[in-house]
Amino acid sequence: MRLAWVELREFRNHAFTRINPVPNGLIVAVGPNGEGKTNLLEGMFFVFALASPRVSANAPVVRDGGDAAYARGEVETLGGRMLVEVEIPNRGASRVKLNRNPVRRKRDVRRQVRGVFFGPDDLDIVRGDASRRRRFLDEALVALWPLKETLLTTYDRVVRQRNRLLREWEGRGEPPALEAWDGELAQAGAAVMRARRDVVAAVAPSASEEFVALAGYALETTYGPNVGAVGGELEEAIRERLRERRADELARRTCLVGPHRDDVELAVRDLGARAFASHGEAWAAALCLRLGLAKAVEREIGEPPVLLVDDPFSALDPRRRDLVAERLARRGGQVVVSVADEADVPEAAHATWDVQAGRVAPRTGA
Amino acid sequence: MYEGPIQELIDELSRLPGIGPKSAQRLAFWLVKAPADDAKRLARAIVEAKERIAFCRECGNVAEGDLCRICRDPGRDVTTLCVVEEPKDAATIEKAGVVKGRYHILGGAISPLDGVGPEDLRVQELLDRVARDHVIEVILATNPNLEGNATAMYVAAMLTPFGVRVTRLASGLPVGGDLEYADEVTLSQALEGRREM
Repeated sequence: MRLAWVELREFRNHAFTRINPVPNGLIVAVGPNGEGKTNLLEGMFFVFALASPRVSANAPVVRDGGDAAYARGEVETLGGRMLVEVEIPNRGASRVKLNRNPVRRKRDVRRQVRGVFFGPDDLDIVRGDASRRRRFLDEALVALWPLKETLLTTYDRVVRQRNRLLREWEGRGEPPALEAWDGELAQAGAAVMRARRDVVAAVAPSASEEFVALAGYALETTYGPNVGAVGGELEEAIRERLRERRADELARRTCLVGPHRDDVELAVRDLGARAFASHGEAWAAALCLRLGLAKAVEREIGEPPVLLVDDPFSALDPRRRDLVAERLARRGGQVVVSVADEADVPEAAHATWDVQAGRVAPRTGA
Repeated sequence: MYEGPIQELIDELSRLPGIGPKSAQRLAFWLVKAPADDAKRLARAIVEAKERIAFCRECGNVAEGDLCRICRDPGRDVTTLCVVEEPKDAATIEKAGVVKGRYHILGGAISPLDGVGPEDLRVQELLDRVARDHVIEVILATNPNLEGNATAMYVAAMLTPFGVRVTRLASGLPVGGDLEYADEVTLSQALEGRREM
């Protein structure tokens, strides 16, 4: 998969940036901090994911004083050329067009074009709390199998409905229809847990492979579902646990059972990554999870997704930095990497872009 | 924003479901510009509907008088009840002509987020009918979404003591549809409900 060209308008500090063509191989965007490298990668990610990897609201993406930001680009895939256009208004939902036709469901675009983003915030996958790891699993789920996104939205709604029911119940005993919501929670929750288990099974081996190449030892990624089913049906196991926690749930007035309380265990050298890994090690683990996801997506769709890697080198020692650069260059497919320091531009780079004050200038003759 | 009657009209229109301020404004100006007869006909239709239409005491559907057209029809099987959320759902099924029995309109679906609990629905009326009319089958035709499913599960549980046959409409692939565009959940439900050929 390859981004043929990209255009950003009124996007953060990019008033108008058009890059045509976007070359193949490893591309390095270089420039001082605050000049718009991350914004460029974020804008490129919009063409694939129709959303920001950094923020959930639209407004911060729109350039100061503008009404809407625009990200457009054409992606060459095995399935044909896809022209993706995203209009991101200050308020309200984004509007998306695929090959000039309005798109109602975002997943109809996301299953055609695939991109994977890594950024410094991903360190929280390793160092942050469980919610950040759940989010990684869900981002990975959507990247791997865009049609499964409905599992997440359905489950989220079940939990909100059931929480409201528990919170507003003033009577004695349990609220009427709680049993019905138990059934919904068990069904939707089991579907999410099965999907997350599949995500970990797809991503973990590739992530570890990447980590071994950098560190020489394995990264273990283990799914920790909130409810385990030993041999039996997962739905039934969730119902059983709900019965056990009934009194607790009524007292605390919130859902205490289900995949919204899952975690993922990350470990290196038999130590929990959160507690024991050094900063550089944690960083490498986060990066390798994203690279592992990219590999898994490639296996799924038969071609490498476009990789957007924001500032990957700053926390790595020179040896690991060179290893990462070399692996990215040899990976096949398109990779855009941002670096702040000219000295960090790897020799293996196929093209270099200078980013300054929201403008991008491809270097010639490099 | 505007003065007098036009603003009043906009305010009234924007209270209708699905009508935002912009649509209300468009409708209001259309009505003001339209021939007087058109506007009066609409006003009359609203007043008349309000005055003459009531809700059927049996099924809860809209009716002219005490009973709706279907509950008055002696040819309809009283031992089969098709339970739906809203009158429009009954109308949709009726248009297809696939249900020979009668309907029962719940008046919505259970949704704590919208403040709707089972006590806000016509569930007791359903149980009364089932007991009185020796109903054999209750078809739960609430919407195939979260709230509709939860409602169906709740109603099914309430019907258990009556020993009637309780069925739920199947979920799956739309006829004339394309496999490629089916989402995961629909596909897995279609697979669960697959049939021997």
